[in-house]
Amino acid sequence: MDLSILRLTLQIAVVATAINFPLAIGISWLLVKKRIRGRFIIDVLVSLPLAVPPVAVGFFLLELLGRDGIVGSPVHRLLGVDIVFTWVAAALASAVVSFPLIARSIMVAIGGVDERLEMTARSLGAGSLRVALTITIPLAYRGILAGTLLGFVRALSEFGATVVVAGNIPGRTQTLPLAIFSNVQLNKTDDAMRLVAVSIALAVVTLGVHNWLLERSRGRT
Amino acid sequence: MTTPLLTFDITKRFSGFSLECQATFESGVTGIFGPSGSGKSTLLSCIAGLLTPDRGEIKALGSTVYSSASRKNLPPNKRRFGYVLQEAALFPNMSVRDNILYGHKLTHPDHREVDPEQLVELFRLSHLMDRGVANLSGGERQRVALARALATSPRVLLLDEPLASLDAGFRGVIIEYLRRIWRELGTPMVYVSHSISEVMALADTVLVLAGGRKVVHGETSQVLADPMVARIADHGAFENLLPASISSSEVEEGLSELIVGHARLIGPSVNRGEGEIVTVSIRAGDVIVALDVPPETSARNVIAGVIEEIHVVGPQALVYVDIGTRLVVEITQGSLRRLQLRRGQKVYLIIKTSSIGILDAPD
Repeated sequence: MDLSILRLTLQIAVVATAINFPLAIGISWLLVKKRIRGRFIIDVLVSLPLAVPPVAVGFFLLELLGRDGIVGSPVHRLLGVDIVFTWVAAALASAVVSFPLIARSIMVAIGGVDERLEMTARSLGAGSLRVALTITIPLAYRGILAGTLLGFVRALSEFGATVVVAGNIPGRTQTLPLAIFSNVQLNKTDDAMRLVAVSIALAVVTLGVHNWLLERSRGRT
Repeated sequence: MTTPLLTFDITKRFSGFSLECQATFESGVTGIFGPSGSGKSTLLSCIAGLLTPDRGEIKALGSTVYSSASRKNLPPNKRRFGYVLQEAALFPNMSVRDNILYGHKLTHPDHREVDPEQLVELFRLSHLMDRGVANLSGGERQRVALARALATSPRVLLLDEPLASLDAGFRGVIIEYLRRIWRELGTPMVYVSHSISEVMALADTVLVLAGGRKVVHGETSQVLADPMVARIADHGAFENLLPASISSSEVEEGLSELIVGHARLIGPSVNRGEGEIVTVSIRAGDVIVALDVPPETSARNVIAGVIEEIHVVGPQALVYVDIGTRLVVEITQGSLRRLQLRRGQKVYLIIKTSSIGILDAPD
């Protein structure tokens, strides 16, 4: 098997998760801890990629990142490069599709921390940042990690949005799911099977760690 | 005139409930009493800064901590109020020691008046310091929570039902600790409770709330007998929660001798040494009043006292008897008339051993 497929798949999933993590923490904090206006709308937007077909997400990104898109055109003008049909586009597609899983898990983890502990910490003299760093995050970190892993495993298996916005270019944007698709199309059953086995192995390891983390986090609150 | 501990005049609305309350608390121990849903915890949260009122003003020792008029709202971490909840709310990711030192470390060195070591000793926590908080008993948890709040040298300690989730034994133990806080550290306290017995045992003055409004506010002994309070509180179930010094833990089989006020009482046996202080519970309705020393009775305790006050509350009468401390006795109005009781009169109180509850639990 071509190791570069595995490497590229991991690279794209890691980058997607790295983009999502700080965003998801920020948005979750906003939604769980702050009584902001428009909460309801943000909440819907956060979960939207989970509900619409990934192909539609891919199409939306293609419009956005393409040479005429509102993101793609200034990037092309300033840097002279295209985003679409590169691994960066694949990473962005994976990020968008996996974001709801990370954000929703982190919301549950942060929301699961007993508010009375945070109120008590405030009364003991801690500002809100200190409460977050010494109480909320230490108590929620297993849930936060588990959610991040769930997003990562979703990014690993991303297909629909990726194929639209990044294509299926061997060596450049062809990730494991896309390679499986190609092999199936070409009737290369053995190759497809091998790649499926690799996918399953990756997923089992990641989900195993995810479940272990969630199990441990339950014992804490 | 000294600066009052707290003055406030606030409004806080929720859907279906509103709190509108104005009062001034002096130093010492102030109780806030009311049935559940009366707004007492809401009031305490507003004072602590954990809830923001819709409008009004809150002052602590003369300085404004909240004012809707001048748009001032000091965050809870700047108010220097200790706040202890019913459930102790210990930080599960820290040891007992780190819990206790959490706020102390955040306290400005100039404000550190209470030494954490003194608290560890006062609350008998030294053997627990390196433990996690997961396996502590209810009483231990509450002792750690009190020590943690006091370690910040708070200007006032706000207590929200700290005894409500404890077994009777631990309740007695924590009541005694709360008395010691005021006696030994001099930290003023605001004590929220739905138990008039607890409020009476601890507080000098009490604010009574019902439906988000002030019902009465005054000296605890007067408030207890207030007809408005009688509607909320069940006087027959009223417990005198009094400190008792053990003079003999086993005076005879299964019985101890206790000193309450200046009376010696025979009570159930107790697992403590001589001289130690425990909390005893004597129900107001369980005490019999006699004008003379009765001839032989099966009751073991006949103690002399002087009537301090008599309050008629509905069909009942509350008789406050001085036995070196105040014992509240509840009798019917008929008995009051028949015995022709009056203030200053000497009476004898008959208390069965089994009517004396010792609220104690191992440390």
